[in-house]
Amino acid sequence: MEYNLMVNQEKLSVQTVISKGGGISQRSNLSQGHIQIQRENRSCEAEFVNVSDHQVLIHVDGKIFNAYVSRQGNTKTVVLRGRSYEITDADLMEETSSGKKSFLNTASVVASPMPAVVIGILVKIGDRVEKGQGLVIVSAMKMETTLFAPFEGRVSGIHADIGDKVMPARILVDIEKD
Amino acid sequence: MFEKILIANRGEIALRVIHTCREMGIKTVAVYSDADKTAAHVLFSDEAVYLGPSEPSLSYLNMDALISAARQTGVEAIHPGYGFLSENHEFARRCQDEGLVFIGPPPEVIQALGDKITSRKIMLDGGVPVIPGLSRCEPDMAVLKEAAKEIGYPILVKATAGGGGKGIRIVHGPEEMEGAVAQASSEAFNAFGNREVYIEKFFTRARHIEFQVLADQYGHTIHLYERECSIQRRHQKIIEETPSLALSPELREEMGKAAVKAAKSARYANAGTVEFLLDEENRFYFLEINTRLQVEHPITEMTTGLDLVRLQIEIANGRELSLGQGDIRPRGHALECRIYAEDPEKDFFPSPGTIRFMKEPGGPGIRIDSGIYQGFEVPVDYDPILAKLIVHAGTRDQATAKMLKALQDYIILGVKTPMEFMTDVLNSESFREGQVFTDFIPAHFSDWKPDRDLADVAVMAFLAHDQETAGKKKASLGPEKAPSPWDTLGNWKL
Repeated sequence: MEYNLMVNQEKLSVQTVISKGGGISQRSNLSQGHIQIQRENRSCEAEFVNVSDHQVLIHVDGKIFNAYVSRQGNTKTVVLRGRSYEITDADLMEETSSGKKSFLNTASVVASPMPAVVIGILVKIGDRVEKGQGLVIVSAMKMETTLFAPFEGRVSGIHADIGDKVMPARILVDIEKD
Repeated sequence: MFEKILIANRGEIALRVIHTCREMGIKTVAVYSDADKTAAHVLFSDEAVYLGPSEPSLSYLNMDALISAARQTGVEAIHPGYGFLSENHEFARRCQDEGLVFIGPPPEVIQALGDKITSRKIMLDGGVPVIPGLSRCEPDMAVLKEAAKEIGYPILVKATAGGGGKGIRIVHGPEEMEGAVAQASSEAFNAFGNREVYIEKFFTRARHIEFQVLADQYGHTIHLYERECSIQRRHQKIIEETPSLALSPELREEMGKAAVKAAKSARYANAGTVEFLLDEENRFYFLEINTRLQVEHPITEMTTGLDLVRLQIEIANGRELSLGQGDIRPRGHALECRIYAEDPEKDFFPSPGTIRFMKEPGGPGIRIDSGIYQGFEVPVDYDPILAKLIVHAGTRDQATAKMLKALQDYIILGVKTPMEFMTDVLNSESFREGQVFTDFIPAHFSDWKPDRDLADVAVMAFLAHDQETAGKKKASLGPEKAPSPWDTLGNWKL
């Protein structure tokens, strides 16, 4: 099976063969098996055991690797020997991005990058804004950040008040392009 | 001894105080805000009182709510931790007036040391070396420039109140003076409600070395040796160690004596920290006294074998300090890494979220002071410190190796942490050689990227893990799925 993965913003195409069962552990409630991956001209194979929901044991040439995995949406963080890898299945990303995500990617809206509290609104409806002009100031964990206009246009909507707690998906300001 | 105390703080430091109280048979009262209803410090205390909304001024900085919580639960003393009201002399005085013991120095000492010009004068009178500068607020620009010329540029314009890097400007020549004074003064006014600024010499390359001191209420004062805290980002320490490689035994003794002198001059009582700047010629200057328990106090506890919180409580209870200077014999080397929820690849920007999985390291000589647990949601309202990782070993090299192992075994999933960054710092040649100055991170790690050489194994783990959760994943692909914050990062700038 072919996977198109994003590994820390780098695209990787991987051919994979996975067979379940057998392997190291006799505990039947855990998924285990054999995995082989091939990318470019390199090939690599391993035995694996899902030790728990968050821990995968990987055996490569007799070497043991404990990988810790957590999933948020389509992205998984894999921590291995003290390094973390953010891996996303790029095919799944495209399937689900037809709605909100592609909308956000056109940068026609302004949203906080992280859960935060609105502490200042620098524009009002009807204002003309230049690209890069400050629109909203948010504060998270004692750090203040200004959200800037992604392009020039006219402010057509403001969806936050000072003191509001906002999440990353929430649109704070609408800007209409000319 | 006290039967019950209230801890006016949250997170790892509240838990740190709870640990010692339980050992001493003292009951603890935790306080919490809306964001902290199920925080670890609440879960581990004997009683907990709700203070108010998450906003610090309405909860952890709310003196009325804290005093009323203390009344309601019948405590005899309040431990302020660090941050929040720990160095607020009004709060210390309020406690005193209400007949509650504030576990810290007396209010007038906090007040005097909180003002930089006053504390400079106290030290000058006590014969403690201070940074060359002008020990007064000088409104006459000509006099100021004349003084600056005498001290020598670069000059630091500094607010007399506050801290945290606010109200500070570096001046390279007389032509920049007027503007810098105006800016620092207005910034200080906005931040602390006080316009006063003064000038002192600025050292481009210096070390930040502090001495832990202990004083009882009867004037008996000792020091517990130094901590080297030069590795900082955004004027905030992230890696600390003791002993410092920069001090010879003679210099250490001289600075220790100066620290005791500084504490005595200020009529200090309880645990405190005397901060010094050490220049490249190994001359040291008094910076300030922190009138609280420091974040990095555990490294001193590791090398001296003392429990600073226990000593704080005993001193506050009126006990005489039975330790003499000769009883303090530090052993080995200790290191601390502060684990914040932050992203070192994005300029250490805070990274709040839910702790999805957590596994702490173990082994001899490893200590973790933590305020989190698996499933805990790290609130956006407070300082993003999650935990402190502390190690103790015979030598600096052994301590460094132990810390590297511990960092590798410490798994925190769900938020970003600087642990990979710290691994690279500890492995760097400049750290190994002890070449640590306050400009360490900008000088050596300004565009740091992690080295990820096990991508193939990580991909196999990703796919193998997929086998386990394939069924669950399909179910979650609903239309309600919000994009991750990192998808939308392109829309804004810092």
